[in-house]
Amino acid sequence: MTSSRKLALICAACVGIASALVPLHVDAQKTDRAKALGTKLMCMCGCGQILTQCNHLNCPSSGPMLKELDAHVTKGEADDLIIQDFVQEYGEKVLSAPPTKGFNSIAWYIPGVAFAIGLGIVIALIRLWRQRDVARLATASSAPPVPHTAASELRDVQLERARKQADRDTED
Amino acid sequence: MDLFGSYALLLAFAFALYAIFGGIAAIITRRPLLIKSARNAGFAVCVLIWIGTLSLWYLFYTDNYSMAYVAAHSNRSLSPYYKFSALWSGQEGSLLFWSFLLSIYVFSALFTYRGKHPELMPYVGVVLAGVQIFFLTMNNFIASPFQVFVGSGAGGILHLATRADGSGLNPLLQYPEMAIHPPTLYSGYTGFTIPFAFALAALLGRYPGEKWIHLTRRWTMIAWAFQSAGILLGAHWAYAVLGWGGYWGWDPVENASLMPWLTGTAFLHSVIMQEKRGMMRVWNVWLVFLTFMLCILGTSLTRSGAVNSVHAFAESNIGHWFWGFLLLIVLVCLAAYFKNRDYLRSDNQLDSMLSRESSFLFNNLILLVACVAVLAGTLFPVLSEAVRGSKISVGPPFFNRVNIPIAMFLLFLTGVGPLLAWRKTSVESLKKNFGFPLIGGVVVAVIAVALGLREFYVTLCLLLSAFVTLTILSEFYRGARVISARTGSNLFSSASQLTMRNTRRYGGYVVHFGMVLVFIGISGQAFNQDKQMDMSAGSVMNLGPYNLHLQNYDSTQEPNYSAERATIDVEKDGRSVMMLYPTRRFYPSNQESGTMVAIASTLREDLYVVYAGTNPDTNLPVIHAYLNPLVKWIWLGGAVVVLGTILALLPNRQAVMVLSSATAGASAPVPGGTQPAQISYSARSQLPDRHD
Repeated sequence: MTSSRKLALICAACVGIASALVPLHVDAQKTDRAKALGTKLMCMCGCGQILTQCNHLNCPSSGPMLKELDAHVTKGEADDLIIQDFVQEYGEKVLSAPPTKGFNSIAWYIPGVAFAIGLGIVIALIRLWRQRDVARLATASSAPPVPHTAASELRDVQLERARKQADRDTED
Repeated sequence: MDLFGSYALLLAFAFALYAIFGGIAAIITRRPLLIKSARNAGFAVCVLIWIGTLSLWYLFYTDNYSMAYVAAHSNRSLSPYYKFSALWSGQEGSLLFWSFLLSIYVFSALFTYRGKHPELMPYVGVVLAGVQIFFLTMNNFIASPFQVFVGSGAGGILHLATRADGSGLNPLLQYPEMAIHPPTLYSGYTGFTIPFAFALAALLGRYPGEKWIHLTRRWTMIAWAFQSAGILLGAHWAYAVLGWGGYWGWDPVENASLMPWLTGTAFLHSVIMQEKRGMMRVWNVWLVFLTFMLCILGTSLTRSGAVNSVHAFAESNIGHWFWGFLLLIVLVCLAAYFKNRDYLRSDNQLDSMLSRESSFLFNNLILLVACVAVLAGTLFPVLSEAVRGSKISVGPPFFNRVNIPIAMFLLFLTGVGPLLAWRKTSVESLKKNFGFPLIGGVVVAVIAVALGLREFYVTLCLLLSAFVTLTILSEFYRGARVISARTGSNLFSSASQLTMRNTRRYGGYVVHFGMVLVFIGISGQAFNQDKQMDMSAGSVMNLGPYNLHLQNYDSTQEPNYSAERATIDVEKDGRSVMMLYPTRRFYPSNQESGTMVAIASTLREDLYVVYAGTNPDTNLPVIHAYLNPLVKWIWLGGAVVVLGTILALLPNRQAVMVLSSATAGASAPVPGGTQPAQISYSARSQLPDRHD
């Protein structure tokens, strides 16, 4: 190994060790209540993760936010007040789910409305198709029998044989 | 080589233009020579894209740092393995890789059906070339991976510049799975282009009957299998690399991959209705269209920066192109539909509410509602910003609350659907088929509650999982017993014969079982535990039944990074059971850090340990440990899903025999019909009132 390569490796090792000592957000939430509240908040670094789950190295947001959360919980503040405090500081974006009031509550209704509309369509289709089937049966019962040709008879015999075979194969 | 690759892509673009316009001319004039030349142009496009992609790989392996893309995503000390995966680590390369995978599908489809289906294939060729044109436009003119560094010399004369070394690959991507996950997922995304092209071509060309469905069934299943595997590999990568203890965060990019999977799954089910009963023609065509549109939407979300995501590429104006392409697809699909919708008319009839047909309708409803829920959650922040001027976050609490009930309903239908007969199921049959599995499910739930389980959805999931598993087992058992009685072979051998006689049906059951395993694995999330501690050598952390003794820290030096490693002795019941080595890496080339999580995985639980950093207050290293139950079941379930899909792709053994006998019998017809056994299995698919 050349001396320049050795030097490069030593430098890299130093940088690596130094980086390991870079302060990170590592202050764990002190209580279960703080943990539970943390799941209702997002990390504001832009990672799109829940506050208590953001573990991005060198994240500038989650550490201070977790400390802030712990401080609120230690003071014994009510959950709603703590959440409200975060909303005032960071905006509604800090909430991990849309609020259930106002315009943003629409997000909660969309799946339910989609289900209701879809269910309505499915039920309407089933009813419509059932009516068609009833109409078909009525027409079939009043229609004259289809004349049998040699080919269709052969096909019928083969199909009937196949049905019986399938019945035997799948019977209990 | 940069010029070589660049020219290859440019030439591919020119050939793709010819494939489109020549193809349209061929459709209008019906001249065989023109049809053939348009198809050959399609082949040429694919080969040229391969050449372009291979050129870029060559540039990576030869450390050509005059290329901006290579310099931004590689460096000399990067291992050859990651130089391979570096190709798709950035915006430009990943778009080329998309074209590359698409070209493999296009080439395969054009080659497989060369000289066949003369009424359909020219349309297919035009649609496929249209999609390729878009991506080649990106590769050539918008996001070329072959851009070079240019320096300014004396007198302002520009010259090619080069760098001594590259910036290196993003540490998060320096993980073995990153060489597998993106190609797998992209193969899913691009694979859905084939059924889309056939559906649109059949509609444009008014191709008669259900033929396009038969032609694309296997292509759709292959794309679906890749999409499934890609999603799960992505989840596994997130679990093993990101170090947050989870595998699915409802990130927009994750959601983008899930949406086409949901509609693709709906299509794979509803298409059976069209095959068996000629029903839902309009619906199936639109499901394929929708699946492809969602693939493009997903890609645009990943690349446009419209939504925040840890997985997204850097924000760029490339998104406008994707939105434009998406709009064009919607317009073309709508125009084709309104012009030829009478061709899709079918006489849908339903004998009974209690039928396989109804279960498919509900299956489609639930999958589509799940897709709408995911789409709404993903795009709602954008909508909110447009309406109110401020973005909101839609995170896991929303998605979990909305999707868990949907998933439970879907699991229920997974068990119910296969046991319902086509046309009509009698109440007696219901009792006979459902009695045992339902009792089994309830017994499992009661035992779980008796053992202290109090989580409603977890209990319900266990009940339904047992129910579905028992319905699947009873289906195998019933069929195998009949074969066993006839042939005298044991039940396992009979089950194997049964499966090979109808691979699609029984492969489908295996896929369902895989999904059950995935659901069970996900349900374990309700019992996750975690603990975080500042730990010096000799300190102990208790987590569940484990004691984690931190023995020491050491550092190592590798060519591409330096690493800090903790050595942890894990004890259970007072005995040392394993050693774990959570590690943090630092990559000097791009000044970034990454974690290497230590995971001890069993079927019961994962002990997941992260070297999280250093506490600034105590200056001590911090260890974050998680105990995640049942996670391994998810990966196991994913493997079963893929195996089941492969099984369903195999040809039926009996069908092969029939075909060969039929060919032999063509020259010497058998009086009075044919051999009974051959007829029985070939004709079974025509029987409308049997299961399949």
